[in-house]
Amino acid sequence: MAPKTWTLLLVAVVLASLGPGTANAADVIKFGISTPLSGPAAPWGIPHKNATELIFDEINSQGGLDVGGKKYKLEVIAYDHKYVIAEGVATINRLISKDGVKYISVLGGAVVKANEEPVNEAGVLNLPLAYAEGLVSPKNPLTFHSFPSPPETTVFWKWIKERHPQIKRVATISPNDDTGWWSIKIETTYVEKLGYQIAAKEFFERGLTDFNPILLRMLAQKPDIISVMASPAGSVGLIIKQARELGFKGRFIHVGQVDTSVVANIAGKANVEGMWVHGYVQSPLPEKVKAWQAKYTKKYGEWNATSIDFTNPAFAFVAAVKKAQSLDPKKIADALHSVEFENLWGKAHFGGKDFYGIANQIIYPMPFSEVKDGVATLVAQLTPPHN
Amino acid sequence: MTASLLVQSAVIGLSIGSIYILMALGLTLMFGMMHIINFAHGAVYMLGAYVIYYVFFQSGAPYFVSFVVAMVLLGVFGYLVERSIYRPVKGGIEPTLVALLALTTFLQAAGYPVFGQLDKHVPPVFEGTKNVLGVMVSVERLVIIPIAAALVVGLYLFINKTKMGAAMRAIEQDKEAAALQGVNVHVVNGLAFAIGFALAAASGALMAPIFKLDPMMGEQPLLKAFIIIILGGLGSIPGAIVGGLMLGLIDSIVATALGAEPAFLLSFVFIILVLLFKPTGLFGYAQ
Repeated sequence: MAPKTWTLLLVAVVLASLGPGTANAADVIKFGISTPLSGPAAPWGIPHKNATELIFDEINSQGGLDVGGKKYKLEVIAYDHKYVIAEGVATINRLISKDGVKYISVLGGAVVKANEEPVNEAGVLNLPLAYAEGLVSPKNPLTFHSFPSPPETTVFWKWIKERHPQIKRVATISPNDDTGWWSIKIETTYVEKLGYQIAAKEFFERGLTDFNPILLRMLAQKPDIISVMASPAGSVGLIIKQARELGFKGRFIHVGQVDTSVVANIAGKANVEGMWVHGYVQSPLPEKVKAWQAKYTKKYGEWNATSIDFTNPAFAFVAAVKKAQSLDPKKIADALHSVEFENLWGKAHFGGKDFYGIANQIIYPMPFSEVKDGVATLVAQLTPPHN
Repeated sequence: MTASLLVQSAVIGLSIGSIYILMALGLTLMFGMMHIINFAHGAVYMLGAYVIYYVFFQSGAPYFVSFVVAMVLLGVFGYLVERSIYRPVKGGIEPTLVALLALTTFLQAAGYPVFGQLDKHVPPVFEGTKNVLGVMVSVERLVIIPIAAALVVGLYLFINKTKMGAAMRAIEQDKEAAALQGVNVHVVNGLAFAIGFALAAASGALMAPIFKLDPMMGEQPLLKAFIIIILGGLGSIPGAIVGGLMLGLIDSIVATALGAEPAFLLSFVFIILVLLFKPTGLFGYAQ
């Protein structure tokens, strides 16, 4: 065979092998996740990834997502950023540049803030689970915050004020970063307006394990309650354990989100009793959540209640793509502004324009629990102060 | 800051200082002997804690048996590291440092698939609290003080009162001269690695019930241990004791009076001031 024939044959083989593969690749919607899958914040990151995968699995098992008359499979590409900003920048850069992802969900305020510019410049749709000042803002038009933030969850303090008037002095302790600073700023401003006294306001470096000196300083101010907003489960467990050892008898509250079973493992079950928490419910679960629990447990072997509220990015994304009937991130973003969808707690939509200047904050009836007999028990579902 | 709060923070500072001393002991021993900084110290501390998790918590062995198992296992590991890393590079400081850094990275990275991604916990061994000079301190923290003291005294006696300790001191002064006098340098170096690793394992094993476990848990203790041995003088055991206690007191009293961030800053300012006036550290000496 002449060399020219060999070359033509080779080109034909290469083209033939590329053809179907290219078509298959185009039928997949890649959804990127950058989240802590290891380290102290892994109790948030693992259910974040798992919940998204489980929802996508269900859609894939039904043939995929119908967009413009064509079926697309949904694929999750997840990377571990360990709640380290540099790792977060690297993973998001990889998702956008190497994996060619157009839709992402990032967990962690400090990580999301560090990636604002690259995400905006690449025109990527972001559905984060993160607390950070200025994240929901007109300058981030493609960022749709998919978890209730401090401006929404602090409404629970009003509920406490009405039912527990004996609580007067509040101390706060949070991570020393964007997430912690903003969370505490919002929370302390809100509780002061309600008439509470801020007894202490402390920040700690992520990874700290010995909280004794900080707690000694806080407890000298005689707080009735300690807020640990924005702190990960591992840190909250140590804070509670050490505060109890130093003699603190009051309650703890986390109106961010924390897995109280992980906290109790570290702090001891009795020490966590009476703690209030947002976004983590173990009982009683509504029928829809029970069905989710069964599916989650079947796939992952172990139930994780944090997954309930971390389904929001996937639910929102699927609902918006269905409405937009397009894969263009800007058109999906437009759809997110008007779509109403079901999450596991009821009807959800993106709103908050009066507060944030843009309707990019998820709004739904938020669950609040109290740890009773070691179980995070639902005590109220409240709607945010803004719609 | 009231007098009572000062006393309280001093008591807490002493308990923190005892933890710091334990962390710094093995590190300073290895530097004193071989002039290497054991970057794997934090990873070995982590492994010591996980031995307690599996042997004590999961398998139900008595705590002190698990503690000894942790020290022995990691001590043997230290000896093997000397055989497989330190000895082949003929004690070269730079290659040993790089190899130990690589070992640390490997152990931490392997920790997640082996031990799991979520933090682990070990239930308290000594429950309850005691009132010490008006401050409630957990019994498990108080127990560390005599254990740390026993390990310090044991190490001091071993180095100063035994034949093997004399061989260690001889190598520290002049390796070649010691070898000419019949000291088996390889065996003594292997023992120093074993003791250094066993001490790191001991501190991890003691911390396991107090804090939480994750594969990166050794990073912060390693940083503190570095600060202590620089402050106290590289290779000096009395330096590690005084440095550990001073840092513990600074961390506690300043953090209680001014907050955690000023305490972090002031501990470095303090070290810079000490090194300005005594560059070899409080108890160190020029080589």
